[in-house]
Amino acid sequence: MRIGIPRALLYYNYYPFWKIFFESLGHEVVLSSPTNKKILKDGLESTVDDACLPVKVFHGHVIDLINTVDAVFIPRIISVESGEFICPKFLGLPDMIRNSVAGLPRIIDCELSLYRNKTGFMEHAIRVGRLLGNSTQEALRAYLLASSKYNSYKKFRVKNGRLPIDEGDKSFFEVTAPDYSKYKDGSFKFNVLVLGHPYNIYDRYVSMNLIKKLQDFGAKIITPEIIPERNISAGAKKLNKKLFWTLGKNILGSAYYYMDNCKLDGIVHVASFGCGPDSLVGELLERKVSRDYSLPFLYLNLDEHAGEEGFNTRLEAFVDILERRRCGESNVSSHG
Amino acid sequence: MTGCYLGIDVGSVSTNFALIDENGNLLKKLYLRTAGRPIEAITNGLKMIQESFEDDIKIMGVGTTGSGRKLAAVIVGADVIKNEITAHAVACITEYPDTRTILEIGGQDSKIIILRDGVVVDFAMNTVCAAGTGSFLDRQAQRLGIPIERFGDIALMSQNPTRIAGRCAVFAESDMIHKQQMGYKVEDILKGLCQALVRNYLANVAKGKEIKSPVVFQGGVAANTGIKRAFEEELGMEIIIPRYFDVMGALGAAILAKKFMAQNKRAKTKFAGFEAAFREHTAGSFECQGCPNLCEVVQIYVDGKLVARWGDRCGRWSADMAV
Ligand code: SF4
Ligand code: SF4
Repeated sequence: MRIGIPRALLYYNYYPFWKIFFESLGHEVVLSSPTNKKILKDGLESTVDDACLPVKVFHGHVIDLINTVDAVFIPRIISVESGEFICPKFLGLPDMIRNSVAGLPRIIDCELSLYRNKTGFMEHAIRVGRLLGNSTQEALRAYLLASSKYNSYKKFRVKNGRLPIDEGDKSFFEVTAPDYSKYKDGSFKFNVLVLGHPYNIYDRYVSMNLIKKLQDFGAKIITPEIIPERNISAGAKKLNKKLFWTLGKNILGSAYYYMDNCKLDGIVHVASFGCGPDSLVGELLERKVSRDYSLPFLYLNLDEHAGEEGFNTRLEAFVDILERRRCGESNVSSHG
Repeated sequence: MTGCYLGIDVGSVSTNFALIDENGNLLKKLYLRTAGRPIEAITNGLKMIQESFEDDIKIMGVGTTGSGRKLAAVIVGADVIKNEITAHAVACITEYPDTRTILEIGGQDSKIIILRDGVVVDFAMNTVCAAGTGSFLDRQAQRLGIPIERFGDIALMSQNPTRIAGRCAVFAESDMIHKQQMGYKVEDILKGLCQALVRNYLANVAKGKEIKSPVVFQGGVAANTGIKRAFEEELGMEIIIPRYFDVMGALGAAILAKKFMAQNKRAKTKFAGFEAAFREHTAGSFECQGCPNLCEVVQIYVDGKLVARWGDRCGRWSADMAV
């Protein structure tokens, strides 16, 4: 079977696992194209107005797959860590897609909740395998293979600081060369922590190439995806209250850990228009960063209407602040 | 012949010029309407400067800023191309080094810049919402049949301002029309509008920012005494309006050009000369069919020769160009 995976939402987290899992069960995995103008437009047209931008983009990716695959994989995700939840939008995603996209192929829709169940991921994978007509045995074997490869991928990612960014049409998982060979360590001018949903910060179209632009200004980019999980948890412990959202925990935990333990020159927080969780996390973060650490902080809101011009202006002004702190008052760069 | 530095700020509503001498004194400022034709505004400005000085000046450096900073750089030849936040801040602290807050409301956007010890530490910018900008005030003044220059003074006469809903331009406008029909006095409506704009600005652009004095208010709207007063009342602070409040971006760009040239003593200015104003500039664009992004690629020709391209997401068209 040709199984389509939309290059959106949790693609940036779990694609390596599912690719290996499906392939070892003898299926072919097809990715939607990297986000482009048409995908965004299709997504905007097929969704209700109050959906957040990433969910709209997800719709566009499903539409991009319609004519090329036998099934689209859209799990119904409730929780990816024990005792935590993710945003409720993921829970209704398969239904939302069925309601708003016409001419769909089969949807592989299977619930995942690790809230009370640590081994739930294995069970989830086995159920997905069985939905595809495989035996429990086969699915279990595929699960073991995929999870061991997925874990070594994650280790590799953290160890090498390899951000999950696609290159051209190639998925981040297939790009093996280190991504910024042109920046040798030590040649970075600043360390910048970029925080936000993986599907915002790594989607080159939606983020208007934020990471690449910052790298071109000489920034070394740190994100939660390349910070060891134990450090994120250590950082998250500093919160006054336990955060029950995995995503908010990752963002705030990374920020707190980094601000206390590493040299950091600035923080960029990327939020999407129409995202409740983001605005909450953003406010907590901004207050903390400016009050307790007086670090430069840039808040970027991704919005389908926002022009690239204003986005670049903000970015350049932020880099000017970093530049000033680095070299003192006198230096003027000719660009930016 | 005096050595001078030229700053140009190209926005969607206005295109401004500032010319300073070696000591930083302003010799000339221009505030021109962009009116959808930035190339014309830029070349007209150049001609006007040349006419007023003939051969008395020598341009030693050029800085550009604003949303059209790249375009201006291509046409005029620029040594520094700077974002408008930095440019505004530089102009402000040159005149008021102690500034800790800059409120800026221009024709097309509004910003807040927070400085501490003479350095920018934070900023925010609104480019989406029209309710907080000069164009909106212009439009309302026009609708009420009041010259924009008198807007502020009339608003100051109000004893009993009308409350206008200012959350968004559409609401504000319909609310105003409603209040007008109900027979409220013009000065009360104008004052109400000033208050609504200030509330809207503080709740959106300045959200979460710590406004400390000295506070400087600049941008075209700073000419409006009604808005200035509304800020003072709302913040309970004195508001400073700099001498050249309407061309601060351009002034900042000129100052940056001067600093840059002082740092790079051997560099020769990239200024293309006043002849640039008489060349034929055309901007065209096409839709790239290279991939589903269908980028709108802008091309600038000078005397029929392609000199710059931008707007492509992948660098396919702009990579081999200088700007
Ligand atoms: S967390 Fe925010 S951006 Fe993500 S799906 Fe939920 S609402 Fe959308
Ligand atoms: S310029 Fe590049 S990104 Fe844009 S449509 Fe052409 S090929 Fe695609």
